[in-house]
Amino acid sequence: MEQPETFRALGVAEFFYRNRAIAGFTNPTRSVYQTIRELVENALDATEMHGIPPDIRVIVKKLQSESDFDLLEITVEDNGIGIPPEHVPRAFCSVLYGSKYVNRQSRGVFGLGVKMAVLYSQLTTGRPVKVVTSPLGDPAVYEFEMTIDIKTNTPKVLKKSVSRSNNFQGTKVTLYIEGSWGSAKSRVVEYIKRTAIIAPYANIYFRYPEDDSYRILRFSRSTTELPPAPREVLPHPYGVDAERLKSMIEHEEPNKTLLRFITEHFAGVGRVTAAKFLRESGFGVRRTLRTLKDKDIVRLARAMKTWKWKRPGGEGLSPLGEEILKLGIQEVLKPEFIATTCRPPSSYEGYGFIVECGLAWGGAIQPTQTPSIIRFANRIPLLYDENIDVTRKVVDKIDWSTYKVAFPAPLVVVTHVCSTKLPFHGLGKEAIADIPELEHEIEMAVRDCARRLREHLSRIERETRHIRRLITIKKYIPIVASSLSSILETNSKDIEDSLFKMLEARRHGG
Amino acid sequence: MVDDTLVISKLKEKAQRVFTLIKNGSPPYLEIPVRTLSNTIWDEKAKMLRLGDRKATRKFFDVGEARRFMQTLLVMSVIAQARREGDYPTIRDIYYTAKHTITYQDHEGKTQRENTFDEQSESDEAIEDIEVMTGLFREEMGVMFDAKGRIVGNMLVKSKEHTIDLSKLGVGAYAIPPNVNDIEIVKVEADYVLVVEKGAIFERLNNEEFWKKNNCILVTGKGQPDRGTRRMIRRLWEEFRLPVYILTDADPYGFYIYSVYKYGSISLSYESERLAVPEAKFLGVTISDIYTYRIPKRYIIKATERDLKRAQELMNYKWFQADIWKKELQLFLERQEKVEIEAFSGFGLKFLTETYIPEKIRKKKYIA
Repeated sequence: MEQPETFRALGVAEFFYRNRAIAGFTNPTRSVYQTIRELVENALDATEMHGIPPDIRVIVKKLQSESDFDLLEITVEDNGIGIPPEHVPRAFCSVLYGSKYVNRQSRGVFGLGVKMAVLYSQLTTGRPVKVVTSPLGDPAVYEFEMTIDIKTNTPKVLKKSVSRSNNFQGTKVTLYIEGSWGSAKSRVVEYIKRTAIIAPYANIYFRYPEDDSYRILRFSRSTTELPPAPREVLPHPYGVDAERLKSMIEHEEPNKTLLRFITEHFAGVGRVTAAKFLRESGFGVRRTLRTLKDKDIVRLARAMKTWKWKRPGGEGLSPLGEEILKLGIQEVLKPEFIATTCRPPSSYEGYGFIVECGLAWGGAIQPTQTPSIIRFANRIPLLYDENIDVTRKVVDKIDWSTYKVAFPAPLVVVTHVCSTKLPFHGLGKEAIADIPELEHEIEMAVRDCARRLREHLSRIERETRHIRRLITIKKYIPIVASSLSSILETNSKDIEDSLFKMLEARRHGG
Repeated sequence: MVDDTLVISKLKEKAQRVFTLIKNGSPPYLEIPVRTLSNTIWDEKAKMLRLGDRKATRKFFDVGEARRFMQTLLVMSVIAQARREGDYPTIRDIYYTAKHTITYQDHEGKTQRENTFDEQSESDEAIEDIEVMTGLFREEMGVMFDAKGRIVGNMLVKSKEHTIDLSKLGVGAYAIPPNVNDIEIVKVEADYVLVVEKGAIFERLNNEEFWKKNNCILVTGKGQPDRGTRRMIRRLWEEFRLPVYILTDADPYGFYIYSVYKYGSISLSYESERLAVPEAKFLGVTISDIYTYRIPKRYIIKATERDLKRAQELMNYKWFQADIWKKELQLFLERQEKVEIEAFSGFGLKFLTETYIPEKIRKKKYIA
């Protein structure tokens, strides 16, 4: 179902322009990757979050090449819910954000990233962003060309037109950026492949320049079953700090009681629990928000962090599930064996999370000296900073020989962490920190899959050994039969058949 | 030579057993007497090595035995074929007739090639297995070998209606044929048989007409003797009551060759009865001879690890338990030195022919 986002303007466009590194637009290579990533993630959000199996087209064109820099045209098209025309300018050309006081597993705070991409485009090429959209249920197609007024953080619409829809529904965004395609290519291709793993219910078409021509990478959906969309959930009391609590209270009715405030804004807290908490923490149950001074709020936040609440669960989290994850791995990696597992919900610091893991072995996978790792966080592929990611730590810690894996081996470890708040390392949002609870769950998940891999490898080993033994004997049957028949002057074929039959019988008999 | 039909019927009998097992759906196997040291019995009374009763079942469906099972049947078929066609292949012919390439798919579906036999030793072993299995010697089955034994001396033999005088061969010698039973020994005029280990020494002694001067029959097996050579010596001892003296290098390999002439060999212990010469005497060279005859230092060779190991093995053989042998082997292990017969040429060959050999015989300074 459609989930309307609450848009609020912030005068921070300039701030982001000056601090673009935070959003990943650090260099000409990374910026290409980041731009595509932002557009693809918006496309996925516009489709799968609303129950629509995604059809996504990504087209990169090299318009001009100058030494290290290319002028690139990047177009991403989806079949999603579209954007109401009145929202389009602000959605792309004004730094907005969604309903802040709700926790939801999402690919990011809506809109922030794409506006950074628009800013980057504008900075490097001065060209406007082109948006074509047809909202769900609207027969019209709206086309825009816009820029951002950086000083005022307001959109400037350069062109706007309306036409009839030709069966088009969704959104198509075109950006012009300067970037280094040659060095970004492999990352982007890898990003698209990994996106196909985590979204096996999507059709993905990717066309990109190669040499003087282009290549097409295409992934077809292997299921139309979408994992349930993540739901918005209230935060758990463990997960708030004084700053956030203060901000929440400021937006509230001052006459509201503390008891009502807590039951309305936090997950899993009923009246009885809330009353008990307030009494034990030394707050009057009937006390109103108006009476809370700053130091009271600090005390309240501390009490909420230490009181024995029921732990947060996986409410609102949506892992892919073992089956869908398996399909994604199968489609993209084409291995001989896959084991997937989805751990029960767990939590850290008041935030629920779920870990799922897949192990892929053999087939089209090339052997490597250490296990290859493919990481996802809230269905986003993580490509950078693998060496500081918790999954790398877990994978390196495991003695793989226990699981009959001897390197070089064709082994890929896939991990997916879903959480209402992901514990990233630093600002880059490309690596997950080694929070003990998370590390434990990842290790359990990887080991669970590894055990099944060991069973598989043992079975293969047994079968191979058995087959080799059979072949050792089988290859001599024709000679044994012809020798016997030559000595006895009888028919060789009968003897041969009998021997083959006997050997086959032994195979089944064990 | 045994009648062809008997050979074929013996081979058929063994093949029929395997065939019957297959027809009844039982895993096929061959029953073969074991031809290893563990099944070699030292017959103290008869003074020879004999084959024990232990038999092994060579199972086709046993991964470790499948190849040898195949090889045994394959060689059986080659022998049967030769008998049917009246052909007399040598063991080398059999190796080449039976050797061909098997092409098969391995467990990964890759095409692999394998030879039915990689070396002649494999088909030779199969032939020996067939001998013990059927109770027929290979020459009885019409299987020949590249005979390397030589003999010369005052004797007449008759082969294929031709009478050959073994004293009229000039610098040459008579090649002992594989099937010695096919020749007739018409007449022997000699006091003893001298067997020398090495072909080179044989040539030199023959060149000097040692046999004529000492009235003996001179024989060599050129290293490990083949069965023709051994059978010939056995016949000279058995039919003409000639004493047999053996001359080898002074090292464990020479000693073992002597024991093969005298008692039989481990791998052919089933043949001892007709090949061994229990009364053969070891003339030398002994280890103590090195010191008694003061062989010059430059002819003395340092023993290798392998020599020492072989000496240890000999010490464990029941037929090397006589005190004199224990003493010789002990001395060898202590001094770790050996010599070849050629060392005597240090004194001139005459020392060997005019002093060493006659003196040893006359003074009975041999090991009996």
